[in-house]
Amino acid sequence: MSTTDRDQVLPMGLRERVMAASLLARTVGQPVPAVPEISADEAFARAADAFYRLLSTLSEQGWKTEALRGLDVQGLVGHLTGVEHDTHRALAGDAAVADAEHVESTQGSAVRQAARSPAQTLDEWRSAADHTLELARVADGDLAAGGCDDRIAVHGIRLPLGDLLVVRAFELWVHDNDIRRAVGLPPSVPDPPVLRLMSDLAARMLPYAAARMGLHPVDVHLVLTGPGGGTWDVAIGQGTGSHEATGQDSLAIVADAVGFCRLAANRVTPAELGPHITGDEDRAAGVLTAAATLALD
Amino acid sequence: MEGSDALLAARLAAGDDRALAEVFDQLAPSVYGGALRVLGNGSAAQDVVQDVFVELWRHPDRYDPAVGSLRTYLVVLARHRAVDLLRSELRRVARQERHYRLTPAEPPGTASDDVMAAETASVVRAAVQLLPDGQRRVVELAYFEGLTCREVASAMGIPEGTAKSRLRLAMAKLETVLDRQLLEST
Repeated sequence: MSTTDRDQVLPMGLRERVMAASLLARTVGQPVPAVPEISADEAFARAADAFYRLLSTLSEQGWKTEALRGLDVQGLVGHLTGVEHDTHRALAGDAAVADAEHVESTQGSAVRQAARSPAQTLDEWRSAADHTLELARVADGDLAAGGCDDRIAVHGIRLPLGDLLVVRAFELWVHDNDIRRAVGLPPSVPDPPVLRLMSDLAARMLPYAAARMGLHPVDVHLVLTGPGGGTWDVAIGQGTGSHEATGQDSLAIVADAVGFCRLAANRVTPAELGPHITGDEDRAAGVLTAAATLALD
Repeated sequence: MEGSDALLAARLAAGDDRALAEVFDQLAPSVYGGALRVLGNGSAAQDVVQDVFVELWRHPDRYDPAVGSLRTYLVVLARHRAVDLLRSELRRVARQERHYRLTPAEPPGTASDDVMAAETASVVRAAVQLLPDGQRRVVELAYFEGLTCREVASAMGIPEGTAKSRLRLAMAKLETVLDRQLLEST
């Protein structure tokens, strides 16, 4: 390429014309290749099926391997059964589980598994997950008919039903990987449509996590790369959420979508994520640290 | 920029409009300059720039960082688009010449259309004049006089297969002549 071409002066207005034509051809944030849209209950069903497949391959010894917080795999599955039971109660409108602590509330179910066979633990969890799906589909119908409140409160979070199911899918994937790590299997990655929902939820939850940490207002241009990723403009604090020049402090964070979800699950550190930052590095570190607090564990 | 091409490609795939703006700011002068060399017409070169960047934004996955730099990908894409444009312009000019010859008294189009057409046509004609005699004559007969390959062969007293191969060679050479400088630079 000659110096002449590199230095070619562009005609006035060409940049604006090209950007406008491009953004008409494809919406900002829309990933390529396109990821099929799926419902939140489908995401949960897929995550549950993947988790069931993993558990079905484990040996007796694998079930007894320590996986997380001193729990062996069987205990961890018991924890998840407990979460499903609390979710059932939340879907039934039981306020007692609204602010229950995620680990403490399910510890009884986790500990109980020691007296059971892995097959019993697996069956109980599968039934509980299936029942979550059944109740969610009924509740979804009620919501469509305007029959009940549109937010479900459980374990200190209060979310629309769809988001709650994505949280459930998220947790199944995270613990799936906890178990894989414990028994020496390679990590798994969700289907792109499931990952897309998880990435979207993590991006949308970022302002709440940042608010809990008292971060200063900032506009975050979040780009999550790879299948299931996308682009989000997130307003933190009194941020505008716009990436146009507004005088508002702004940051751009580019990271792998799967890595960002692992960060939101508090399974990797911001340094391990290795994001590309444009803007104030310290403030970006604050935002990423806030993301890791989204984890329920 | 080449070192970050893979990251830019990933950002474009994620729908990051800032990545598109960055690529435009860095590479549009090269893309525009390359198109201008082939076409010799600023307006047509701008159309090529738009086509190239819209294509990149719609299909970022068609660029493979393992194969080469984003700069080379875009400049080559621009060259192909410019040559396509030139080919269609060549056909248009030839049709117009035949039309004027058949209806010499018809008034011309608007002044701006004529200026545009004349600019492009002069570039095309100059390129045709650079062809070897045998190939130039085949192009003139086929495009400017509208003869079929069989008729070209008969008029020149050569086999039809030879006429076809000369036409293919001429078209390939014409493209090379028109964008030689760009090819050398990439």
